[in-house]
Amino acid sequence: MNKIPRVLAAVLLVAMLLSLAGCGTSDGKTHLTFQIWDVGQRDGMQAMCDAYTANVNPNVEIEVQVTSWGEYWTKLEAAAESNTMADIFWMHSDQILYYSEFGMLADVTDLYDDEDPNFYQEHYSDISILNATGEDGRMYGVPKDKDNVVLVYNKSMFDAAGVSYPDETWTWDNLIDASQKIYDVTGKYGYMAYNDEQLGYHNFVYQNGGCILTEDKTQGGFDQQATRDAVKFYVDLQSYEWCPDQAYFAETSPGTAFLSGLGSMYLEGSWNLLSSMKNYPDIEGQWDVAVLPAAPNPVSGNGHATISNGLTYATAAHGKNLDICLDVLKYFGSEEAQRIQGESGAAIPAYMGLEDTWISAFDQFSYQLDLQAVMDQFDYAVQYVNNSARPKWKSNVVDIMTSIYNGSVDIDTGLDQIQNLINTETAKKLADK
Amino acid sequence: MKNMQRNAQITKVLTYVVLILGAVIMIFPFVWMILTSFKTQTESMQVNPIVFFPTHWDLNNFVDAVKSLPFVNMYINTALMIFFRVVCAVAFSSMAAYAFAKLRFKGKNILFGIILVQMSLPSQIFIIPQYQMVAKLGNLIPALGANTVFALVFPGIVSAFGTFFLRQTYLGIPNEISEAAYLDGCNQWQTFTKVLFPLTGTSVAALTIFTAVFAYGDLMWPLVVNSDLNMMTLSSGLATLRGQFSTNFPVLMAGSLLAMLPMVVLYMIFQRQFIEGIAHTGGK
Amino acid sequence: MAEQKKAKTKMSAAAKREQNWGYLMIAPTIIGLIILNLWPFVQTIYTSFCEHLGFGQYKFVGLQNYIEMFQDPEVWRATWNTIYFCILTVPLGLFLALLVAMLLNAKIKGKGVFRTIFFLPMVCAPAAVTMVWRWIFNADYGILNQILGTKINWVTDPNVVMIACAIVAIWSNIGYDAILLLAGLQNISKSYYEAASIDGASKITQFFHITLPMVSPTLFVVMIMRLMSSIKVYDLIYMMVEDTNPALTSVQSLMYLFYRQSFVAGSRGMGSAIVIWTVLLIGIVTVIQFVGQKKWVNYEV
Repeated sequence: MNKIPRVLAAVLLVAMLLSLAGCGTSDGKTHLTFQIWDVGQRDGMQAMCDAYTANVNPNVEIEVQVTSWGEYWTKLEAAAESNTMADIFWMHSDQILYYSEFGMLADVTDLYDDEDPNFYQEHYSDISILNATGEDGRMYGVPKDKDNVVLVYNKSMFDAAGVSYPDETWTWDNLIDASQKIYDVTGKYGYMAYNDEQLGYHNFVYQNGGCILTEDKTQGGFDQQATRDAVKFYVDLQSYEWCPDQAYFAETSPGTAFLSGLGSMYLEGSWNLLSSMKNYPDIEGQWDVAVLPAAPNPVSGNGHATISNGLTYATAAHGKNLDICLDVLKYFGSEEAQRIQGESGAAIPAYMGLEDTWISAFDQFSYQLDLQAVMDQFDYAVQYVNNSARPKWKSNVVDIMTSIYNGSVDIDTGLDQIQNLINTETAKKLADK
Repeated sequence: MKNMQRNAQITKVLTYVVLILGAVIMIFPFVWMILTSFKTQTESMQVNPIVFFPTHWDLNNFVDAVKSLPFVNMYINTALMIFFRVVCAVAFSSMAAYAFAKLRFKGKNILFGIILVQMSLPSQIFIIPQYQMVAKLGNLIPALGANTVFALVFPGIVSAFGTFFLRQTYLGIPNEISEAAYLDGCNQWQTFTKVLFPLTGTSVAALTIFTAVFAYGDLMWPLVVNSDLNMMTLSSGLATLRGQFSTNFPVLMAGSLLAMLPMVVLYMIFQRQFIEGIAHTGGK
Repeated sequence: MAEQKKAKTKMSAAAKREQNWGYLMIAPTIIGLIILNLWPFVQTIYTSFCEHLGFGQYKFVGLQNYIEMFQDPEVWRATWNTIYFCILTVPLGLFLALLVAMLLNAKIKGKGVFRTIFFLPMVCAPAAVTMVWRWIFNADYGILNQILGTKINWVTDPNVVMIACAIVAIWSNIGYDAILLLAGLQNISKSYYEAASIDGASKITQFFHITLPMVSPTLFVVMIMRLMSSIKVYDLIYMMVEDTNPALTSVQSLMYLFYRQSFVAGSRGMGSAIVIWTVLLIGIVTVIQFVGQKKWVNYEV
């Protein structure tokens, strides 16, 4: 009995050493880590990494790690401060300006200069390049994918109500009409207008010819009538009986409601379509996708718009394996790697001309979604809203929108507050420089 | 006399009614969790009338949960994390508790103050600094960095609560015992290991249970420090499942059941020890 | 006299050894706590006087964060929410736990089964527990509204959401508290009750004159523990109420606000000031408790 502490200490030591030894394999290869936030894309990313080991550099092995979205940024920032970031990681437009401004990301503008100085311009769209560019005009990430927002609808409910399926001729009026008819006949929800930016009112604002930020990104667009009208239209959708209120969405996401057959339409990002097909085989064939409805009387433009975003691959500016990491990034931006990404169904490759590889990932299903709608929308897609001050105003804007929705702030006052907030924070940021 | 008997009887019935009612409320969430885990999502969201029992008792949701998460790894990681945290807490806290309770040294009160201060601080403020420590450590020795079992154990290497709690126990042991051992020629370390530590069995068991339950429920730390899916614990894995299936409750309930199972089974087997152990953490 | 002096010098050599052993044995714990907890706390104090520019770069701004904090209605709201959570969970939770403990202390059959059931939530991961409760509370598809025949927005109505969180907190902790109190009750000698019965004292009189005073030391310990953890509440509310919930401001506790300020909005200076404010509250409450206990806690057992 009296030997217990010593025995414990011995056991502790041995066990610790054993568990350490298990991890510390040294095989002379360089092991890199690759941090992402979407579990659904893990296999596709790993396939790309394995291809790098097989085809480019057999002495490098890359392991993909997944952290959920919320913790991803907490962790990445903490890691950046202590210069312990993962070797390669995804960057989002929300954050790239902030990270690049503080010099955390390696400059990849000249990555392909040895083979083709115009590589990016030839193979990537302007939006993709903009999403990878810092305030100083340099590129801090290699474009990974592109996406946009589509209208998802339940065919059976449209059939039951005798309404024709949404198509490119649809306007906001059709959206309301169809919702009402479907609700009257089936009792199911119509369009589920969820309080979201990218998957919600931002699309409507640009359709109406308004904007969230002005062209030069120095000011908000909430003082423009077109913007205000669009936001009001979107918020007012909630007052129809066929639309659930925001309290409903706090407990049941529009996607869950849709896929459980409780509502007929919602906005979804193209990046979620594959997992919806995979995870809900029971209702395969009962739903499809369409382009977003257009604004009926836009101030400018033809009323069509969708928010398009794209992720990038990035590496730390001062990582200890910088040269190898840059080589990996270079590979990730190549046609070969982008093709692997597309074929795995992970996302639509940013590399132009490979869009069909992503569509082919849906061949495994017996029902084919109208994915051409996603491709068509790229013609009038709007770049994801961003400026360098956005981290300072983003969460406050969400709070004000929530207050507008629950009625504690009058909509005009709320929109003025948003405009004020964006302008103040942006001006502060510009003055700091 | 008869009246009193009747009164006693009424009291007894009332006791049973209240207890059974309470027990139903306590157990219901678990029942609902089990029932939901077997339903399809459509079934789970049907109302007027609500579907109480699933129409088919199949394991589809469990299959979905297991396909998304490496449950075997999660069980192993959780078990290792609990094991090492318990061993560390017991070993280091016992030593410190004995010293604080039985030995005289300068600055004792101030040093003990550190323990009390730690106990009143919210643990969320430690997450980022501790993560940075682990990350830096990992740069020197990869096996001590993020995504290891060591990282999971890290914040629990020492335990302020354990020290505080065991100190009470050592204070309760009469000084005569340690003095007798000392006169027998033991030094302070031997007095501790050979005489006093063996006397604290009940308290050590209590601390073990408390530490295990706490480590098992710990969410934020494992979530931040270990992002490799294969290095997750049950709690952090569950949070990841929620990120993936958002509000698809049947799958979430199936995952929760799988995550809870080992601890509940252990509890059912050792419930007497569990309850007595926990009763002991209240002091006395 | 001579002997005494000899003993004293002898003592000091032994005392020195004792002191060294003391330092050696507390070293792992104390060093660990200083590195893992105390140093981060000191950093937090410093940060609370700074503005966070980004990536760990700080600018000293003096008391500005504190001035802004006390002018911010959201902070006061969060302070009230935290106090409200304590009010809902501590007195009511303790009352129910004491009730359960007393019932379990009575001579009844199936005591073990009841004990097992009441204690079950303690061994379940909070992540799992809150998930099932959210599902039960779901306004449209949850079983609770179906049983009650109501349409209460348990987690999205600003007036109700805190009650829902409190229910989950009490449900999770009642077993633990009851077990501790039961241990306290079992220490009360039966002879007190027998004497009281002979004197003709009613059950209620017995409760207030015997049970409550005798169990008060345990009750005090449980209360301190519960109160401390209630002021620091974060995980439970975070998992019950996501930050897109329209009722968030009516339920976010101080530590939830800290999380949103520091991690989501990136204002670590403000976040740290909120932590200092919270720690201050904990200190005040603890002092009040220890002063107040003299009035009601009975240590003459």
